[in-house]
Amino acid sequence: MNYIDLSLKELHEALVAKKVTPLMLTEEALKRAHENKDNAFEYLDDEGAMAFAKTLTEPEKDNPLWGIPYFAKDNFSTKGIPTTASSNILNGYVPVFDATVVAKLKAVKAVMIGKTTLDELAMGGTGTTGHLGKTYNPYDPKHERMIGGSSCGSAAAVSASVAPFALGSDTGDSVRKPACYAGLVGMKPTWGRISRYGLFPFAPSLDHVGYFTRDVYASAVLLDVLAGRDNRDATSSAKPIDRYEEDLNKPVKGMKIAVLKMVTDSVKDEEIKKHFYASVEALKKQGVEVDYVEFGKDLLESLYATYIVISCAEATSNDANLDGIKFGPYKGGKTYQEVMFNARTAGFSELIKRRFVIGSYCLMRENQEELFLRAQRNRAKIVERVNEILKDHDFILALSAPSIAPLFTQASDKLSDEYLIADNHLCLGNFAGLPSISLPLGYEKGMPYGVNFMGRAFEEKKLFQMSSAYEAITGLAETSALDPKEAKL
Amino acid sequence: MNFEAVIGLEIHVEMRTKSKMFSAAPDGFSHDPNTEIAPLDMAFPGTMPVVNKQAVINAIRVANALHMTIDHTLYFDRKNYFYSDLPKGFQITQQARPIGKDGYVMIKVPGGEKKIRIERIHMEEDTCKQEHFMDYTLLDYNRAGVPLVEIVSLPDLRNGTEAMEYAEAIRNIVVYSGTSDGKMEEGSLRCDTNVSIRPCGQEEFGTKVEIKNINSFKNIEAAIDYEIDRQSRLLLSGDPVVQETRRYDEASGKTIRMRLKSDAVDYKYFCEPNITPIKLSDEFVDEAIKTCPELYDAKEKRYLMAGLSQSDADILLSDPEMAAYFEEGMPLVKAPKDLANFLIVEINSYLNKETKAIAELPLKPATLAEIVMMQETGGLSHKQCADILAKVLLNPQLSPEKAKEELHIVAQVSDSGAIMGFINAVLAANPQSIVDFKAGKDRALGFLVGQVMKASHGKVNPAEVSRLLKEELDKRQS
Repeated sequence: MNYIDLSLKELHEALVAKKVTPLMLTEEALKRAHENKDNAFEYLDDEGAMAFAKTLTEPEKDNPLWGIPYFAKDNFSTKGIPTTASSNILNGYVPVFDATVVAKLKAVKAVMIGKTTLDELAMGGTGTTGHLGKTYNPYDPKHERMIGGSSCGSAAAVSASVAPFALGSDTGDSVRKPACYAGLVGMKPTWGRISRYGLFPFAPSLDHVGYFTRDVYASAVLLDVLAGRDNRDATSSAKPIDRYEEDLNKPVKGMKIAVLKMVTDSVKDEEIKKHFYASVEALKKQGVEVDYVEFGKDLLESLYATYIVISCAEATSNDANLDGIKFGPYKGGKTYQEVMFNARTAGFSELIKRRFVIGSYCLMRENQEELFLRAQRNRAKIVERVNEILKDHDFILALSAPSIAPLFTQASDKLSDEYLIADNHLCLGNFAGLPSISLPLGYEKGMPYGVNFMGRAFEEKKLFQMSSAYEAITGLAETSALDPKEAKL
Repeated sequence: MNFEAVIGLEIHVEMRTKSKMFSAAPDGFSHDPNTEIAPLDMAFPGTMPVVNKQAVINAIRVANALHMTIDHTLYFDRKNYFYSDLPKGFQITQQARPIGKDGYVMIKVPGGEKKIRIERIHMEEDTCKQEHFMDYTLLDYNRAGVPLVEIVSLPDLRNGTEAMEYAEAIRNIVVYSGTSDGKMEEGSLRCDTNVSIRPCGQEEFGTKVEIKNINSFKNIEAAIDYEIDRQSRLLLSGDPVVQETRRYDEASGKTIRMRLKSDAVDYKYFCEPNITPIKLSDEFVDEAIKTCPELYDAKEKRYLMAGLSQSDADILLSDPEMAAYFEEGMPLVKAPKDLANFLIVEINSYLNKETKAIAELPLKPATLAEIVMMQETGGLSHKQCADILAKVLLNPQLSPEKAKEELHIVAQVSDSGAIMGFINAVLAANPQSIVDFKAGKDRALGFLVGQVMKASHGKVNPAEVSRLLKEELDKRQS
């Protein structure tokens, strides 16, 4: 047990009381990171982090992030610190500016320890496709199970208690799914609530900055810092931000929840289902009104295809800057076409190329109507359905995933409902740009699983309120792989 | 067989805004390569576009001047293609919803005016500049992201002269609305033209040939007329016109093939996800229009009303800074035409000689107006005033009054009593000239005026001398 294992709130109190210093925390975080065996890190900034921590000598009582170590996914631009997005095409790239979220955390004097691994360019959900290879789940010392992706390294770092929080990005479920597999709180707020400036784009209409914490309180106070209008991101919202932790632990009586019936129905694991229903009953006991709603099977089954078309189409364009001229390995060539071809051939993995081909194909003049525009229209339909449900309900609730973290060797049946629906519904929050949070629910074979709440646009404060109630029901706050807790249910 | 040419112009205009279209980098103040770049302009990962408000205002003003319907919601699209001058691998443009559509401009044609319809105007960003060498290419990102408006005409133009008139009309609008300096020679106004010909009376269009790299307004005319002639000769000799891109070679006066054009490239357009649609309020659009600087046509009208000749107005307006200078001095003189004369003759020849722009003229409009007033009400001749002007230009510290003193210039005598004294003396000395005048020899009058001027050492007003002399001669018996 070390101070770094404390909850963010307790840690802050210890810092204010000068029982521990930012420097001590930074040393511990670096030590743990260097010793970690989960392949979670792209870069550890020993010198920079230590130097910054040394400057933090006067605790700031009203700043809960003062001196707190954290990690950023390696697709956030960090000035002077190599950033590869776990892709060979960006090997050696050193950004010249900080992402807005990184700058904001610097401003409140949180200490960035390093950068974490991801699925290459944030495309993928397994945590296996980055240029450093697989990232492992700290809950599974045998290294047989994935942690999920694409924010695999950040999930592993927080789950292994290397730091109390980490930044991730979420285009389909890239924060919330790994949070579920890693027993963490994984949050992505409303699209536009947190500036994306400096986040390497995957599919901007779906991209969100998200983050991992070990409890709901930390998630809420982090949003206090990260949220807000940024003039460098024209899509960021000018809506005033809230004090997101204000309503934590207040009664949730009278709130209405829609449980997505089809998701639970398509889950095969009875044990998980049983616990899920038990948690729903516990919510009811607190006066929460629960409806089991039909979303529409066709729509749910279309999520994955719609997501693939839109995200690949946008991705192929976003990554067109990586052409070996400004960025990427220069591999020679007699013409500009050859230079680009050689760089991109060497720099991207096969999986990425496949996505580019799909995206490009969907955008071709002769296919646009049938693929890209059709997917856009279907997205609008899906969003309409989500908002319809949220007219009568404060939240939509479902299991985040149908199972505990899968084995690396386990292939999913990509046409089963369990895959198409239960494993893919989190992208609803990306299609609609709604705030969405994954919370731990329990363990099976020592591996965590969790649920997801999605709320109305910009109602993050209420979402945290509900999340704190749910956290109290499961008793799974401040969990880590080092010290797994007993689930209450 | 007679052919009719069908010509369409795509004009790209670089906007002179403080910053670029989507980034905060300064726009075109430096000629040092790669010194005006924000991370976005080089497509650094994670950078995001933010729309330049002034560029929008400019586009609205141009759209309004072209009588277009203005879209009150801004949409942007990505045009995707790989090219070494394209940093992001896509260009942000307005494909689906241009800011303005369905407009027109009137151009001068022999015997009147012609309406040229304009399909669209949209905003987009420029690419970076390439300099090709034997075995390498240099890239200058200063130009990357410079705001552009593209103005696309409908195929209403029929010959090179009309096309040139059209391009000049567009130039006048973008220059006087403060949108651009509109210099073709420097590439801040670029013109791609599409030329096809068809037998007179035929509805359907012929094969289109694109001409690029035209670097002056005059060459628009020359290139198109050459191209019409070339295509006509091809068709008359039974050869087909092929779809291709040609460039205009100024030296030979010919168009030369650059590349054959296969089916148009698929740019895989889709909506730019990092710019959500931007609603423009009616107030914003109205304000942009209301605050638009006075345009060429309005100025031209005003100058003509003030008594300038058409050619004087054309000359002054051909340089917006000259026009601005003129307008500053205009209220300070009696007849703007006199001021225009000084600008067009004396000032222009000074500027040409010194190879200076009017902005560098070491003379305030008020000072020039003061000199003009010496002619208008101070009794000095134009020549005398021109001497004063030359003196002041040589020594800008000198006031016109002081220059006049130093040049010993004195006002001409217009007092008839004094002039009559000289006249009587001259007539007494030249009786033969009186006889000649009575005999109808007009030259005699000129001779006598000259004698009076000489006798008075140039101090009398020659017009007044001429008037009084005539009166006196008429009085005398032959």
